[in-house]
Amino acid sequence: MAVTIEKTFRVGESADKVWAILSDPKKVALCVPGAQITEQVDNKTYKGAIKVKVGPSVTDFKGEVKVVRLDEHAHEIEILGKGQDVRGKGSASMKMTGKLRNVDGGTEVVSTSELNVVGILAQMGARVITEVSNIMFEQFVNNFKKQLQSPEDMSAEAAKPISGVGLAFSALKASFSRHDDKSNGSAESDPGKK
Amino acid sequence: MAAEKTSPGLVEVEKTSPEVSGMGHRMKRKEDSRFLQGRGNYVDDVNLPHMVYGHMVRSPYAHARIKSINAEAAKKLPGVLAIITGEDLAKANLAWMPTLFFDKQMVLATGKVLFQAQEVAFVVAEDRYIAADAAELVEVEYEELPVLVDPYKATDPASPILREDREEKSNHIFHWEVGDKAATDKAFADAAVKSKVHAISQRCHPAPLETCGCVADYNKATERFTIYLTSQAPHAHRTLFALVAGLPEQNIRVVSPDIGGGFGNKVPIYPGYVCAVVASLTLGVPVKWIETRSENLQSTGFARDYHMTAELAADKDGKIKAMRVKTLADHGAFNAAAQPTKFPAGLFSVCTGSYDYPAAFCEVDGVYTNKAPGGIAYRCSFRITEAAYLIERAVDVLALDLKMDPAELRRKNFIQPEKFPYATPLGWTYDSGNYEGALNKALEMVGYKELRKEQEEKRKKGELMGIGISSFTEAVGAGPAHTFDIAGIKMFDSAEIRIHPTGKAICRMGTKSQGQGHETTYAQIVAQELGIPAKDVIVEEGDTDTAPYGLGTYASRSTPTSGAATAMAARKIRDKARKIAAFLLEASEEDLIWEPGKFFVRGAPGKAKTIQEIAFAAYTNIPPGLEAGLEAINYYDPPNLTFPFGTYISVVDIDKGTGEVKVRKFVAVDDCGNVINPMIVEGQIHGGLTEGLAIAFMQEIGYDENGNVSGGTFMDYLVPTAVETPHWDTGLTCTPSPHHPFGAKGVGESPNVGSPAAFVNSVVDALSHLGVKHIDMPITPWKVWNILKEKGLTG
Repeated sequence: MAVTIEKTFRVGESADKVWAILSDPKKVALCVPGAQITEQVDNKTYKGAIKVKVGPSVTDFKGEVKVVRLDEHAHEIEILGKGQDVRGKGSASMKMTGKLRNVDGGTEVVSTSELNVVGILAQMGARVITEVSNIMFEQFVNNFKKQLQSPEDMSAEAAKPISGVGLAFSALKASFSRHDDKSNGSAESDPGKK
Repeated sequence: MAAEKTSPGLVEVEKTSPEVSGMGHRMKRKEDSRFLQGRGNYVDDVNLPHMVYGHMVRSPYAHARIKSINAEAAKKLPGVLAIITGEDLAKANLAWMPTLFFDKQMVLATGKVLFQAQEVAFVVAEDRYIAADAAELVEVEYEELPVLVDPYKATDPASPILREDREEKSNHIFHWEVGDKAATDKAFADAAVKSKVHAISQRCHPAPLETCGCVADYNKATERFTIYLTSQAPHAHRTLFALVAGLPEQNIRVVSPDIGGGFGNKVPIYPGYVCAVVASLTLGVPVKWIETRSENLQSTGFARDYHMTAELAADKDGKIKAMRVKTLADHGAFNAAAQPTKFPAGLFSVCTGSYDYPAAFCEVDGVYTNKAPGGIAYRCSFRITEAAYLIERAVDVLALDLKMDPAELRRKNFIQPEKFPYATPLGWTYDSGNYEGALNKALEMVGYKELRKEQEEKRKKGELMGIGISSFTEAVGAGPAHTFDIAGIKMFDSAEIRIHPTGKAICRMGTKSQGQGHETTYAQIVAQELGIPAKDVIVEEGDTDTAPYGLGTYASRSTPTSGAATAMAARKIRDKARKIAAFLLEASEEDLIWEPGKFFVRGAPGKAKTIQEIAFAAYTNIPPGLEAGLEAINYYDPPNLTFPFGTYISVVDIDKGTGEVKVRKFVAVDDCGNVINPMIVEGQIHGGLTEGLAIAFMQEIGYDENGNVSGGTFMDYLVPTAVETPHWDTGLTCTPSPHHPFGAKGVGESPNVGSPAAFVNSVVDALSHLGVKHIDMPITPWKVWNILKEKGLTG
């Protein structure tokens, strides 16, 4: 199941400062709830893991992250990630592009993620995946801002799985109440359309 | 609703007193008192001493190779008793099992998985929760393989071959054709008007309220196996268990207790049953396995998934000359279709419908895809819903092409009452019908002329309103045995009646109610035939140790087969009762006259013996030379199917802003011949129409390009509640079946068969002036809104 998630957020720091974090998968991983980089394969490839718990289902993805494009001048990055659940509950792949733009008083981060999920998570449907992503993204932005302000605190913090019950509950709540963010699933929530 | 007799002279039924409550009485359902008090006894209510629980580990992938299964962590969980994998079953030659249609299916996957939610391992534990937790701990390493979802790509050389176990390296399962191709092609070449529609009868699921499950109880001491099973066909399942597992059949007892809806979903044998049986055999304790809702939707018998093209040839006045049909059938990973052996596409060839034309040709190709197996008859007699939907859609498209009123076009082409029995160009012999009678009644009930006027006025104002007609014919009640069998077992059915000394009775059947009200209707048949009040007749089904052999309940076959068997057995009893009465009354048998409930001597109505007095004598005052007792059994092999029919009319309004379709009015006129219990018939019609509404507007088991199921929960697979369901106006006409002992036809499935076309026709009719000729189901607001947007109507 493919879902496209577009997100934009602003921070007060300069583009260069933001780029220093965004262009480093190890630092980005620290901001992703439940994620960690376990090994650097080469200067573009990393091995990592992410644990996502939605309702009764915990998926423990292990896989590879690759930086396929890094444009220092334009401040653009494209990352491909692919992982499989360690207990065989499914797989996921993601193509994420991040772009920075100077704005008044800081920097705007624009990201587009094309997420493709197979397995138990996918069965929960686009609305749940999108909502889970929304919540994860909110946490990501908070962590990202924290790291901009005090990078030392972040690196000390070990990767924790995302709060399971809480995540499922807020995803459920969110899918029942209309959100006004920019996220949109490419697999529409219309059951009649594949 | 009183039935209008439209064809007098066929089988007449005399109405008994309300006290007796034979046929035609609106007797309240006997089974409801226990259901309404929560006292039903379903498979999950069966709790046995020392019982343990199974839980299935399922594949997250639609197509993947299994590289390894590591159950060590799961085994260590306290309370886990066993973990069975495909490799374990392979040792007992049970990794695969035959399907009901010349194919085989993996019980637990070996080598690779072929659909999402496929069964991979079976965990047995002391309680349900431990079993489920342990299933989470089973680690399966997969290697993902390319996925085939689109049936049109099944025979594409670029597509992966799914079934490595088959000799034939192809995803093509079968080609089946019927009819006169040359005559049909010629009719098309000569035709003034040709009309065509491509319509998908989408993959959907019966979603019975009770999911599937079983309790397998092997008794090591007696070597007997009792299997409590959600089964629509307990006897057939017993025989299949015997044949597949090599168990002696006398040692197998299948008990199908109360069943919470089947609709075809509980006809196949599922891997969970086999695993529970194997686990009980291994552990020597009862093993319960009950599916979750998602497991039921994702892995058990789906229905439909027919991708159909129909063409009609007609002259310019609208007289149909021929029909041509080409269909692609998506069977998923295994051909587990539940249908009679000679019919790879079921009874789909009734697709010529209620119309009289000489030529037709129909071909069907079946293919494998990475989807759940099935192809069961969801509340229809083996692919008849697909067929009825197709012809009724095609006729409406022809009406559009001809700019003719769809009611008039139907009227012009109906098979006329005097032409029955009518041989269709695709080989069926319809027993009786009066299609125009049902159409006229429906048009009158709905107020057709006024509605068309209203529609015209509304169109001027830019409002969207549509009227859709469906004049379907069903073919139900299989056998006859010479044509129909399931896995080799002939499709007769049975009834055994025992009259107790006090004149009360028990009736045991080869069929199995799943909500149809058999405990009431069969009792009413006995009441009709013997005059014993229906309340004094107990009906028992589902225990293979006690019930006579039968093929079970699906395809609206209970009344046509076991209902007939009940009448025939009752008539045997009446024959013996006559002998006893003659002895008691000291009269000759020829001088006795029967009226429901008693024999009296011709010319002396006071000289009479009631059936109760006769029953008592059968045990206490046995005539010399006669066997004691009063009981009979009948195995009924019907000479033909029965062909119920009707006309349904749906009236809809469409909200241009949201695309929401509101069914404003729905009229259903059914003809199922002589009615046993009008209230139960109405209930069946209400339920089937509601399912039809769901199929037309809400339901699809969809798959994305990776083979992920998108209809695997009730959040996505919608079931209508009272809020979404409109009021149903029902009516009856009565054209008895000439060959059925009391002139009845099956009815339970008619509303599911006939209604989807009515709904879709009404929506298309509302949009036809905009150039819309067809919309595929489910017609969701999103789909309608997009059409309106394209036409610039959303404002």
